Formats: sequence, structure tokens, C-alpha cells
Amino acid sequence: MSDAKTPLPAEALNHLDALYNLARWLARDPTEAEDLVQETYLRAIRAAHQFQPGTNLRAWLFQILRNTFFTRYKRKGREPEVMDPEVLDRMSTLEGPTGVENRLAGPQDGTAGLDLTAALKRLPEAYRSVVLLADVEDFSMGEIARIMDCPVGTVKSRLFRARAILKELLRDYAS
Amino acid sequence: MECAEAREHLSDLNRGHLEAGTAEAVRAHVGQCASCAAALQREAEVRALIQARAPRYPAPPALRSRIQAAMAQDAFGGPGWRALLRSHPWTVGSLAGAIAVLLLVWGGTLWMARDPVSRLAAQAVAEHVEYAKEMMNRPIPDPPALVKELRSQVDFSFEPIFRGDSQVQLVAGLVSDLLGKRAAAFVYRDGSGRYTTLFLMPEAGTTIPAENRMPIETFKPHHRVTSGRHLLLWKQRDLACLLISDLDEAEMAAMFLKIRKAA
Ligand SMILES: [Zn+2]
Repeated sequence: MSDAKTPLPAEALNHLDALYNLARWLARDPTEAEDLVQETYLRAIRAAHQFQPGTNLRAWLFQILRNTFFTRYKRKGREPEVMDPEVLDRMSTLEGPTGVENRLAGPQDGTAGLDLTAALKRLPEAYRSVVLLADVEDFSMGEIARIMDCPVGTVKSRLFRARAILKELLRDYAS
Repeated sequence: MECAEAREHLSDLNRGHLEAGTAEAVRAHVGQCASCAAALQREAEVRALIQARAPRYPAPPALRSRIQAAMAQDAFGGPGWRALLRSHPWTVGSLAGAIAVLLLVWGGTLWMARDPVSRLAAQAVAEHVEYAKEMMNRPIPDPPALVKELRSQVDFSFEPIFRGDSQVQLVAGLVSDLLGKRAAAFVYRDGSGRYTTLFLMPEAGTTIPAENRMPIETFKPHHRVTSGRHLLLWKQRDLACLLISDLDEAEMAAMFLKIRKAA
């Protein structure tokens, strides 16, 4: 533990709403989301000396949030995934509708025409996070890759595939 | 440029993040490839939909104050968590242990000491806020159909139920999950766009606190204010009932009577 007295920059608080918003999409309920964000700030306070002033504080906080989510929830296997993102990643994005999107969106369980919230919740977490970081938080592909700790190419293909899945899930959703 | 490469760039193209040369090459490919053109359009469509429609959840004020306090304590030294750690030498050298002690100490005071009813209230309020956001601009379904559909989705009986009147409309019936228990949630909206959510669930395991009872005619539901909203908790038949409202206290009491008397 470093004893260097480096306080977390005060502007860290400006990102609270954004961090809590993502936490709500990750956690199962609002209480878990609060715990997640609370621990994110605790970790950030502890690790403030590792933050390099002038670099992207917002991306750094999101990275801590996602790591915290992983160690707290993911490890326990508490999030049932519709489909393993690793398996999805290995499948080609290029053959158009390969059936993967259809399987995820599958009308057989009566879920066609879900609303947007339900559709987003149905995405595997790794895909949902990429979409929210890109569209709601407007992070660049490079920042998302850092936050998610994966290659930029993976971010791009997850985003591309997430769009296809969402479009399919929302096909009956009145626009 | 091949399809594979073009598709990698579609999202950045829409966001104007590509260098001029790359953007040009991607546009040229999209111009002559129907499937990439469709993908580009889908890209923009879905992104716009998410930006316009995905619900945003603002941080609860209580969470904000706790984090603010933790940051202030940290910035100004004692009696912050660093001082706390120094006074607990058995944790030195163990990051996990240090955080555990920290959480334990704060847990007893600020962070996690929530009784079940407070947790229930916090979650119900958050759901209420979410429903209110979701219901805006939605067509109103007809109450009998809505009640009928919900009846098939929960395994307990909740009828008869207040279906609205000239002042307040029943706008949604949803299945909810409160602290792991399945609940039926009814959302009402009044003429000024204020929402009231009624949660019904089997009463087993829910204790109505004896304190803070609000006398409303002959009834005495438990009353509290959570995140600025009035909340009533009571039992009727074999159900635990939780009412959360954007209304003020008097209007909330009137709403309670309508619901209580319909049952
Ligand atoms: Zn193409």
C-alpha cells in the first residue's frame, strides 16, 4: 500500500451519474448498483496515486467500475448469459444473418418486439457494455478497449454484432 | 476495401472519428456494396434509438453524499480511512483486508446498515422511477386487458384491484422483482403526469414496522419518505402492499384510500 498522499481529483464526482447508470445496467438491482459504484470510488480513492493527471479520468473510473463488477459479480457466475460472448466473438460477423443473431433474438420464446430496455438487458454483458459505453457515454473505440481490457478489433466487432442483435430484437418495436 | 475492413469502420464513420483517407475508402466501398450500406444504416439507426430511448438512471442522492464524504475525508486527512487503517495494524500489508475493515467500519455507520424494509423501499423507489420514465409517451392499454395479462404472470391472487377513475389512470401492470420476491406492480398516472406505483406480493417474510404509522381513516399504514417520495407499506388479505408516489402527503393518502377500499 502506497502511503503517498494523492487525493482523488474532485472532478471524479462529476462522473457519478454516468458510472451509476452503467452500474444499473450491470447489476441486478439498484442496491447492487449502489454497492458497485461505492466500491468503485473506494478503489479509486485507494489507487489515486496510480492515476496520471492529464489522462482520461472518466475512462479510468469506468475501467475500475468494470473491474469491480467482474471481481464482485461475474466471478460468482451470477449473471446468466444468453450466450457466451467468447463464443459469439469467434463466430464470423461477415456471413450476414448466420443464425446467431436469430438464435439470440429468437421469436420461439415470444420475445420478438421487446422494448429497448428489455432488448439491451438481453444482450450478453460484454456486448451491452460496449453499446452503452459507445452510444450513451460516447467513448472512442480505443477508450472502450482500455475499459474492457480487450483489443480494439474485439470492441468493433462486438459493437457491430450488438447492433445486428438489437435490430433483430427490436424489429417490431414502434419507432 | 473489403467488407470485413469496411464493417470495422462503420461505427467510427458515423461518429466522424475516421481520418479523411480512411473515411473516403469506407464510403467508396459502402457506395457499391448493398450489404455494407444496410449495415451502415442499421448502425446509425440503432445508435440513435439508444441515445433517444435508453433509460438513464441518475445516482441516488444518498449515494452521492456518501461518496462526497469519503472523498472529503480522504482529501483532508483524518479521521479518514487512511487514519483508520493506521489505527488497525493487523490489516497493514493486506489490501483486501484493509478494504474489508474499511467496509466493515463504514458498514456499521453509513454504508450498508440497511434494514430489510429500507432495502425494500430503496429498491421499490428505484423501480417506480424507472417505470415512470418508461411509461412516458406510451399508449395506455385498457385496464381489464392489462389486469388479465398480469393475472397470468404471477402465482398469487391480487384482485380486486383499483383500476383508476376520472382523476387517475391505470397505465401499466408489470411483473417486478423486489428483494428476490416476485411482485405485481401497478402504475397509475394522474392528469398532471405524476406517477404512483403499487407493488403487491405475498406477505410472507415482510414485517410492517410498528413505528411511523400514518392514520388514514381507520387504516394505519407504515409511512416513510425515501429519495423524496412518500411511501406506504401495509398488509391486506395475504398480501404485502407498497405504495410509492410522486404525489404530496395528502394526495397520497387519498390515493391509498381508493386502493385500499377497492380491495
Ligand atoms: Zn461490403
